[in-house]
Amino acid sequence: MSTSIETPQPVSIDGGAARPVTGHRVVRTSRMAGKKRFSGLRLAAFVALAVMALGWLLPFLWAVATAFKTETDAASGGLNWIGASGITTQAFESILSQGNIWVWAFNSLWTSVAITVITVFISAFAAYAFSRLDFRGRRWLFVVVLASIVIPPQVLIIPLFYQMLAFNLVDTHWGLILPQVVMPAMVFILKKFFDAVPIELEDAARVDGASRFRIFWSVVMPLSRPILGAVSIFVFINAWNNFLWPFIVINDTLLMTLPVGLQTVISAYGVQYAQIMAQAVLASLPLIVVFLLFQRQIVKGVATTGFGGQ
Amino acid sequence: MSHAATAATRSASATPTPPAARGIKRFREARIAWIFLAPFMLAFLLFLVWPILHGFYLSFTDQSLTGAGGGFVGGTNYAEALGDATMWRSLANTALFTLLSTVPLVAIALVMALLVDTGLPGQWLWRLSFFMPYLLASTVISQIWVWIFNPSVGAANELLRSIGLEPIAWLQNENTNLTAIVIATVWWTIGFNFLLYLAALQNIPSHQYEAAELDGAGKLRQIFSITLPQLGPTTVVVLTLQILASLKLFDQAYQMMGGISSDTTRSIIQYIYEAGFVGYRFGYSAAISYVFFAVIIIVGILQAVLLRQRKAEQ
Amino acid sequence: MLTTHINRRRFLSAAAALAGAGMLGGCAATPATDERTLQFWHLLSGGDGVTMAGLIDQVNAAHSGFEAKQTVLAWGAPYYTKLAMAGAGGRAPEVAIMHASRVPGYVPGGLLDPWDKDLLASYGVGEAQYSTPVWDKSHLGGELYSVALDAHPFIMLYNKELCAEAGVLDGNGRLQQATSPDEFLALGRELSGVSEGHGISYGYLGGGSQMWRLFYTLYCQQGATMELPQGGPAQIDEDAAVTALRFMQQLLDGEIAAAQNDEDNAIAEFATGQSAILFTGVWELPTMQEQGIDVGAATLPTIYSQPAVYADSHSFVLPRQLDPDPELREMTYAFVADLLTRSTEWAAAGHIPAYLPVTESEEYAQLEPQADYADAANHLVYDPPAWFTGSGSNFQNNFGQAVQGALMTGSDPTPAVQAVKRDLDAILAKPNPTDPEGEWSA
Repeated sequence: MSTSIETPQPVSIDGGAARPVTGHRVVRTSRMAGKKRFSGLRLAAFVALAVMALGWLLPFLWAVATAFKTETDAASGGLNWIGASGITTQAFESILSQGNIWVWAFNSLWTSVAITVITVFISAFAAYAFSRLDFRGRRWLFVVVLASIVIPPQVLIIPLFYQMLAFNLVDTHWGLILPQVVMPAMVFILKKFFDAVPIELEDAARVDGASRFRIFWSVVMPLSRPILGAVSIFVFINAWNNFLWPFIVINDTLLMTLPVGLQTVISAYGVQYAQIMAQAVLASLPLIVVFLLFQRQIVKGVATTGFGGQ
Repeated sequence: MSHAATAATRSASATPTPPAARGIKRFREARIAWIFLAPFMLAFLLFLVWPILHGFYLSFTDQSLTGAGGGFVGGTNYAEALGDATMWRSLANTALFTLLSTVPLVAIALVMALLVDTGLPGQWLWRLSFFMPYLLASTVISQIWVWIFNPSVGAANELLRSIGLEPIAWLQNENTNLTAIVIATVWWTIGFNFLLYLAALQNIPSHQYEAAELDGAGKLRQIFSITLPQLGPTTVVVLTLQILASLKLFDQAYQMMGGISSDTTRSIIQYIYEAGFVGYRFGYSAAISYVFFAVIIIVGILQAVLLRQRKAEQ
Repeated sequence: MLTTHINRRRFLSAAAALAGAGMLGGCAATPATDERTLQFWHLLSGGDGVTMAGLIDQVNAAHSGFEAKQTVLAWGAPYYTKLAMAGAGGRAPEVAIMHASRVPGYVPGGLLDPWDKDLLASYGVGEAQYSTPVWDKSHLGGELYSVALDAHPFIMLYNKELCAEAGVLDGNGRLQQATSPDEFLALGRELSGVSEGHGISYGYLGGGSQMWRLFYTLYCQQGATMELPQGGPAQIDEDAAVTALRFMQQLLDGEIAAAQNDEDNAIAEFATGQSAILFTGVWELPTMQEQGIDVGAATLPTIYSQPAVYADSHSFVLPRQLDPDPELREMTYAFVADLLTRSTEWAAAGHIPAYLPVTESEEYAQLEPQADYADAANHLVYDPPAWFTGSGSNFQNNFGQAVQGALMTGSDPTPAVQAVKRDLDAILAKPNPTDPEGEWSA
């Protein structure tokens, strides 16, 4: 469709102007440097950017501010960032002491990791077969897999739930995990990447008598680390935040994931906004921390897989 | 998906092999291929192909969530769906949401990406601000926005009051609830489109700008004559992805309304969920799923046709 | 402040079971102690939730064999959907609270297990402990499916200070009972004169339940009935329905009551002393008492021909389990029976207990203002029985959607009533999905 999509390599989208990493970026930086003198347009752009960024941060900051208020201050409205009774961690303390959020976070973490690991492995194996191995029906099978990308998983909730009933997997983590590991788009992305890996690299190993599996495992997979990382990030974010399917298949509150638990189980003490915001903030922390640590990889990974999915 | 064909044609036969050995090699390779494929294909068949087929079968039965029913009822579910005002309303809501959300989600994302791509200092902060909401679970963003849109003490109404406007019952009022959901959605998911645009912008070869600069073209001029035209194909991708994503509206609409089924916010996915899990009617719900599925396919085909026309024009 | 709490020990053992054995399926990890855990689901939040948590703690303290653990789910459709799905999945909680009006929608599909009446009687709970209408309502097809905890009518809470100021209290300090629609509107106007906000707080926007509660009270007060026979058509007295809605429109004139208000805001308005009357369920009573408002309570006055007041009951049900543990089942009976005997506290939370030994007690008679609306129990009206009706059902929600526009704008409510009837006819014409063979509809 476009030049940028056709490239199987991760789309280059690295850090700021201050970090000349690739030659490409160096050139661009110098383009900017040439314009470094005070320019009205540049100032306007900066102001616009700052306003937009602030606008985008405000809702979350407001949630954080509410979480640090007392319930009374939160419920009394107003636009003040600090409540009349000052800053308090009460809301966080009561949320954490209830324990639910720990269980849900643990469930979310472990099921998302499981989904990511299984998805990446089965997709990589399949993608390699489609890319490198010769077998009858390869082409039409790939077309079938490719075509299935358009199917929104949401339309399958009824038959899937029925199937989980039949397998006795309703209210189990396997019932939550298994239907989420089928991501044809990931097979497609990985296949595109494998297609571009020079075959000579594999030939060298084959001359040494390595088996297909060995070649795949110790030659192709290590070479594919960036793309595997990108795919993993994408799958993990999706799994961590997925709502509809976990919401349907899990009824036992001890087995719920974070998003489902937050939505389904409420406080017996009525609507308590500071606590709800404290929950929301706590639930967002893991991914925000991960983002701050791996910003470049995540940005790159999402851009790559985002384009590749089409 | 134009590259699918080109990618698939790439052959695996790397080294020339004598004809006699080729058959054996092919056989061995096919066996290995199937071993490689097996885990994925098993999951694919079990959790995608089978549900599609079984769902199609269910759509012709009166199967109930409770296990009751299951008898074949022919096309009555489809006939009912086509005459069901609630289903059409849900489809219309979905379409309206798609329209209302897609425009800002693409336009604002583009502006964001253009601004960030100027290389202004503070890159990590810009990316964090715009992309961070995308990392939040739908439940979290729903809770945050329900709080902001709280009719009596929410920040949105406090803002309105502070500039002398009447407060609005954002999520309770049928005239504003879909808009409120659109606002929350734009805030939540724009980061994804922003990143796609940013990636595309940074792939535009810089010599084009240099040439333009030599010709004396200003910054704005460069944006209109180089940047935007180059972004055409990306916009098509972003638009396609966005429309498909918006059509699948469920999470935030369901959550922000507190699980209440409102005639102005019920999306088609929510109706599938309600027909099946709230109303127990699995068979009917399956039929609606297939109606929606047909809509998705039609949208997909339309997009493919438009794309081809575009390509032909170029 | 432990609500839906999972204590640390239990969490750690669950986590260890998961991590260690790598086991996932239904990991209701047994706690290390010999106390069995009874999973108890309900939808009681706010003041009700606090009271229920207290009752559960008492019952747990009194028994050594089990520990009941409550899980509070969001009220309404989300709760009932989860409960049905848990029943369909076969791994439901041991016991749950359901509105009596919802039970008919759950029994035919086999989502509930019947109570063993003999076993229940051995714990002192049986026909003798219930009024005949309540006991009968708990049965379906000859089996006992629900054990009622309470009845909770739709009532009026009033701010005694403001009412005294307006001079609408009688000699005993109770709100004067209006006897006609006009009298009631006049009362509302007088009250709005003394209130900062509105005379009456009635939040109806949002889900349809608030609209349905007032509507059905007014509808039934006219002697009208509503019947929803499977197959249809719906039997609705359209004139009575229009009359009821017209009256509601008159209330929502922006002076007597806010033209557009939702439930939470109405509660807040009354709680902060800005209005004199709140139309609400009994469950808001403790909240208002805590707010320090001198609060009275009264049944909605009979402004038409006969007394009637919308109500529902919280009742205990046994969600279907594929493989019920006999020991846990038996403990469930002990838990429910013990909780019923302690329901005086539940009465303190505003509800009218269903368990007669409690309502007939001296203690209950002295509860103020609960005793002032205890008479409501004699003319409660529940949702017309059908598989799709009841508290938090889409039926109430759809009703609200149909009439909300007319209430907000004050336009002619007749088309809204016709739309309600049309929708009901359409649902009734379709087979009952919980009972497609029609075995239960007789």
